[in-house]
Amino acid sequence: MAGAEEIEICEEGEESIEAEAKTERGDEKVLQFLDSLDGYLTLMDSLNSKLREGWFDLASARHSMGTLRINTTLLDLKDHSASSTLQVTDQEVESLGSVPRFALSKWASKGGSGKGKDFSTVADSEMGSPRSPQLRHRGFAEEKPSAKGETVLAADEDAEIKKERAKSLSVFGGLVSPKLRGAQLSFETALETLVEIANTRAAMLTAFERITKK
Amino acid sequence: MAGRASIPARNSALIAMIADELCPSVSYFVSCVLDTVVGFLMAGVGNVDIRRKTNYRIVDSKTTVRQIEDAFKEFSSRDDIAIILISQYVANMIRFLVDSYNKPVPAILEIPSKDHPYDPAHDSVLSRVKYLFSAESVSQR
Repeated sequence: MAGAEEIEICEEGEESIEAEAKTERGDEKVLQFLDSLDGYLTLMDSLNSKLREGWFDLASARHSMGTLRINTTLLDLKDHSASSTLQVTDQEVESLGSVPRFALSKWASKGGSGKGKDFSTVADSEMGSPRSPQLRHRGFAEEKPSAKGETVLAADEDAEIKKERAKSLSVFGGLVSPKLRGAQLSFETALETLVEIANTRAAMLTAFERITKK
Repeated sequence: MAGRASIPARNSALIAMIADELCPSVSYFVSCVLDTVVGFLMAGVGNVDIRRKTNYRIVDSKTTVRQIEDAFKEFSSRDDIAIILISQYVANMIRFLVDSYNKPVPAILEIPSKDHPYDPAHDSVLSRVKYLFSAESVSQR
């Protein structure tokens, strides 16, 4: 009798441990979801600010250059490829499952020497801080331009990017207002933020599915 | 997100834009036309193919809801587009279509426009997840 009671107590103990572990896993999923939701809202706020800066600079540029120099008729309708593109990969994350990951490649020239910036919020959320800048993976951060050759290469790439930026503004004429260049940089930053938002959105929806899955 | 099938990897995917610049008064209209689209085109996202098909659509006062729907359907079915940026004001015109879209790629991001700030209450992604915070979902637990 005593033996049977002991076995019963052990089984109850195991069940309660299992239930506790299950609750912990559930809580972890909820926390991940709330983290990504918070990250999403913060990024949207940041995007708002960047866009406002860009609109303001664009309005200033229009004021100094004139309305005729910044309007729809100048949009380049000759066939051309986008200089800033995305790479999409399917990433398996242990706690979140399969999540699409977007990486921005800005000002990639046709020669393929463009720099790629990879904003991975999935890795960030694993560390528990979706907004820590030091956790972002940058495609060129692993390069150590200590050798002269590598420094020259980095300088060449910078020159290439400047050339692509100038080409993008050339539709507005040869001489453009510094405010227009400022607007271009603001929208570039907004673009980077949008890619982060896309990654956070994907993580959030996956975390939401895992919570609501029965 | 629907679709547990693996997401095909894409290189050099595009960002599409459906943006509006509807302004309250005619005198302001000229200055605020197309700022969002122009801005992102300056950032290098514009793409025009040999058939002169662009990866952006400009919504103005003459654009019909049907045209906006067609643009959305076209962009969301293209393989070379990874993200669609749509002004939230425009998204509200085709809200049913945007809310019923549930593919992981291309990702639909609702962005503010100059005259219409971002409203989290209308965001399709947040509407989907706010169910977790509703009284009904709490009572079911």
